[in-house]
Amino acid sequence: MDTLLGALHAIAWATYVGGAITMEWVLRYAQQTMPGSQVGIVCKNAGMRYRWLALACLIVIGITGGLLLLRLDASGLPGRDLSLSDSYGRTMLLLVITWAGGLATVLSMAFWLHPAQRKRSLPEMTAEQVAAERQRVGRAIARMDKALKFELVLAVFSIGLGASLGAGGLI
Amino acid sequence: MPTDLDIWLHIIYGFLHDISVAVYLGGAVAMEFVLGPAQGSIPPAQAQVMGQKTADRFLWLVWGSLSLIIITGLLRLEHMNMLSWTEWPFFKTPGGLSADYGQTLLVMILLWCVLIINGALITFYFRPRLQGKVSSRTSAAQLTAVQQSKMDAATWVQRITRIDLVVVLFVALCGASLKWGGLL
Repeated sequence: MDTLLGALHAIAWATYVGGAITMEWVLRYAQQTMPGSQVGIVCKNAGMRYRWLALACLIVIGITGGLLLLRLDASGLPGRDLSLSDSYGRTMLLLVITWAGGLATVLSMAFWLHPAQRKRSLPEMTAEQVAAERQRVGRAIARMDKALKFELVLAVFSIGLGASLGAGGLI
Repeated sequence: MPTDLDIWLHIIYGFLHDISVAVYLGGAVAMEFVLGPAQGSIPPAQAQVMGQKTADRFLWLVWGSLSLIIITGLLRLEHMNMLSWTEWPFFKTPGGLSADYGQTLLVMILLWCVLIINGALITFYFRPRLQGKVSSRTSAAQLTAVQQSKMDAATWVQRITRIDLVVVLFVALCGASLKWGGLL
């Protein structure tokens, strides 16, 4: 059971972090060679799929991580302690916080940042309103860009924290 | 914060190893379930260009991560005193074949070799066939043959990519099981 939970936990982390890196490194590069109109279509499609994949991974990470923590006994923590007085406990707490940060970022992308990028254009809109709408969408795209980069840094940092647990923790 | 250089090395090897596996596995999943379907939302000619660009870039990630996986994997084993470069049979207990741990390690290394072979097939055999250009003097029969060859190559690339995805998922399962003594 521990092996299965551990494998699910590792695969979910790997899918989430590797997916974030691939989206940044591969999709962003491909976008530069595409016509503007198609960039929007591809980003919308890929972005939507990636967000649900990331959300599913983060949920699996949370569930399997919680179960693994509940099943953890003294034999799994030789000479270590889950309290804040021990490096292992502090690193684990920070890992939970980064996971929560990642979840909050993906949720905000799914329910706030992405819907905000939709351009509203009505025939009765004035030139000023159209310009204001364009500016608003531009700001929403910039916010999404920042959120994606923040998420990527958080995800890579989480892998570092997870890797340090085997050596007793990082902080 | 650890002060011992040995502990830092352990953390750095672990971090690089985990991030490389994540890039390979997560990248394969993203290519298959995110970028692939997204390609279908744009016209075929543009989708082909996008597919070429994403595959070119992704292959860099693949070769980089496969190299780092084996280098950091071996360095980790050496650091944990399970591997010696000078004493035959190199792997020490519990990395030897007499233990579940060692057998699981061997399977992981063999599957890494499968990923390398598949990666080489895609990079050096199928991708050049996909990129082959047709000159203006090509006859209709030759054009049909070239198109058929490209379609076959594309089908094979897709098959191999899916095999790789299954293989790397199993490798991740084996890797996670090592904490509990191995899978086999």
